[in-house]
Amino acid sequence: MKYSSLLARWVWGPVIVVGVLELCARVDDALMYGAPFLGRYSSENLFMRDRIGLRGRPGARFQKWHLNSLGYRGPELRAGSIRIVCIGASETFGLYEAEGHDYPRLLEHALNAWAGNDLFQVENVAVVGQPLAVATLRVPEIVEHVHPSLAIIYPSGATYTWLPWVQEEPLSSGAAPPDPEPASARFEWRIMERLRNLVKQGLPSAVQTELRRLAIARDIARNRYPVMNRVPDENVHRFRQDLLRLVTALRARGVEPVLVTHATAFGKELSGEDQELLVAWRKFYPMLDENGFLDMEQRMNGAIRDVAAQEQVSLIDAARELPRGREYFGDFSHFTSLGAEVMATHLADGLRPLIDARLPRRN
Amino acid sequence: MTGHALLYVVVAVLAWVVSGRLKNARARRALMLGASYVLYASWGLLFLGLLVFSSLLNYALGVALSRRPSGATLAGGVLCNLALLGTFKYVPTILPLLPDPSVATAVAAIGLPVGISFWTFQALSYLFDVYQGTAPKPSLSEWLLYMAFWPTVLSGPICRLSTLLPQFRDWPTPSGEDVGRGLDRICIGLWMGALGQVLATGLRPGHGVDAAFDSLSRPWTALDVWVAAIGYGFQLFFNFAGYSHMVIGAARLFGIRLEENFDRPYLATTPSEFWTRWHMSLSSWIRDYVFLPLAMLRRETWWRSVALMVSMIAFGLWHKGSVLFAAWGAYQGLLLVLHRKLQGLQRRFLWAAPGAATTLLSWLITFGVICLGWILFRANSVSQALTMWRAVVTPSLYVRPLLPSSLYVAVSACVLGYFATVGAISWYRRRRAPLTVSFGLRAALYSVATYAGLLHAAATQAFIYFQF
Repeated sequence: MKYSSLLARWVWGPVIVVGVLELCARVDDALMYGAPFLGRYSSENLFMRDRIGLRGRPGARFQKWHLNSLGYRGPELRAGSIRIVCIGASETFGLYEAEGHDYPRLLEHALNAWAGNDLFQVENVAVVGQPLAVATLRVPEIVEHVHPSLAIIYPSGATYTWLPWVQEEPLSSGAAPPDPEPASARFEWRIMERLRNLVKQGLPSAVQTELRRLAIARDIARNRYPVMNRVPDENVHRFRQDLLRLVTALRARGVEPVLVTHATAFGKELSGEDQELLVAWRKFYPMLDENGFLDMEQRMNGAIRDVAAQEQVSLIDAARELPRGREYFGDFSHFTSLGAEVMATHLADGLRPLIDARLPRRN
Repeated sequence: MTGHALLYVVVAVLAWVVSGRLKNARARRALMLGASYVLYASWGLLFLGLLVFSSLLNYALGVALSRRPSGATLAGGVLCNLALLGTFKYVPTILPLLPDPSVATAVAAIGLPVGISFWTFQALSYLFDVYQGTAPKPSLSEWLLYMAFWPTVLSGPICRLSTLLPQFRDWPTPSGEDVGRGLDRICIGLWMGALGQVLATGLRPGHGVDAAFDSLSRPWTALDVWVAAIGYGFQLFFNFAGYSHMVIGAARLFGIRLEENFDRPYLATTPSEFWTRWHMSLSSWIRDYVFLPLAMLRRETWWRSVALMVSMIAFGLWHKGSVLFAAWGAYQGLLLVLHRKLQGLQRRFLWAAPGAATTLLSWLITFGVICLGWILFRANSVSQALTMWRAVVTPSLYVRPLLPSSLYVAVSACVLGYFATVGAISWYRRRRAPLTVSFGLRAALYSVATYAGLLHAAATQAFIYFQF
């Protein structure tokens, strides 16, 4: 073979390979999810920012996540149904579950199966990473749009690990900040995300854990985070106060709250795999040592139980009653489809007496 | 699965690069044995321990048999292998029936060693061949490699020592043609695997063959049953034949030629022909080590039919110890017996059936009964299989389909596309024109195959035959 021909192969070969792989990724996205072939397609499409903070983008779609015209995950509202909203963070919004298997959707199925008709509609109003303070600010619009009778609150205490991240007030009283989405319509290689996932799946978990540790150390050094062994009492107090405000805000608008303690994948004894999961969790909150997470869970759940007792709010103790293990949790706290099913069944069992007592049932 | 696939790609590339620099066959064998053990250990160190234990045990039995061929030693060897296979494969199935399930529970907790059915049958074929005095004599390292050879250890093809040993001993440096053919086969395998995946999951989520079978409360119409059965038949074929292509291609990259495992099985015009084209390494194993020894015990015709039935039930149970797999084997045995009877009648009345129309009818019947048989292979319960079969023989259920139309589209496209491709290849071969593919097109096809096989989805369906 001529030298020039060989050289051309070495030059064009990689270009063809990369080009075809990218083309395949785009065709795949278009066929599987109806994604735009040329436009930007990422999970960031699902959310937008308004003056309160992050919220679902009305009508947004990304892979299995579909938001309705109100920006909430799931189908459009049905007229004439009894509405229940699920307030929470990523555990409620859904991550690992198959499409239509987030626990709010399964709860709706369970309640309707019990009612024998389509009486109930459960609206998943959760937003990924949303602290309770922001959820409280969202209550008026949720009530205005959804008119719920009950609100299930499944709070994630971890969002209070670092108080500077907990937003207290709307960003401004004026107009919402410009939506960053249109400005970031730059070209992105879709194949890169797939390659990254592939490598991630191919790496042994021990190597992944070490890489996470390095990333945590880098994050701490870059942002000068102080490292804590334990979440300060002030954070737990703030969580409790915000939960109290959320309960009050809901009740003030005629919505009865139901509190649910936060369940995790961890049992009483920690296995080696559990230790790795804790490192994975810490990647989101590098300032808290791995050993502090379970203590935080215990104290935050204690706060939830306190508020429930103090305010005489119905409590479903998922943290104590849900089974543990990797078949129910895709990571430290996010449900698998099976976990979501167990959670939904558990919630349905807990809600039935409340529904019987408070809500009119129609045939 | 994807993680393992990536590990296999990385180790195979490293082994290939190092292998090219090694001067002699002995060094290549050592390298491949090391790579095979590393890859097998990635499924579990305990599994590797079992593979090594089985290899050493069978080597010792082989040495003993070659010194003094004895029926008792052979029987002992067969029992040891079946006990090992049975412990991990069949005991967990009958767990609830055991009075004291503690040991069986512990075994079940270990799981099923990957490929145990395949490497156990490789070991058994060696013992039978040694007893008959037809087996070559391997060194320990050659034997260990034969048992653990990484392309075949997980899901076959089930190799014979007489095929592999000469190649291990005279391990050639792979030629450019070997590499080209090997990559082509891997590419074809990835394509077929992707098609199998499309059939399994459907063009839209929940619209695939898996969902069709797994929706237990579904009412079945006859058309639905046919599309589900044909769809599953092709899903299984694309999945397993695609995997076999990749295995054969991977071995060819290293200069080793494995025997074919599939030969366009859905072109078969009789059930007997089908079984010379489908999973050929297992069907020839069953023929050589189960059917022929059994058939030779008596001369009567009825005994041959019994031997066929027993062989095919063993074939079914090899996959899994369940009523459905035994029934599938019995069904296939019955088809073979009926075909033999038909051949007998043809001979008796000197009736030949020439002509394209008869061949077409014969093909259609064979294709139909084989596809209906897959219902037993895939159904979740005996009652589901019976319900589906009942629908097929109920004329009033040939009205309107209830399964999603996209499944009908996917199955039709795959089936028609497959037969069109097979026809085009045959036509091309008849013209004796060499099929040339430009560098650019080849690179593009490899890229698409890589995408379909590795990058399409992080969580792909597990390869069906790994469970066996």
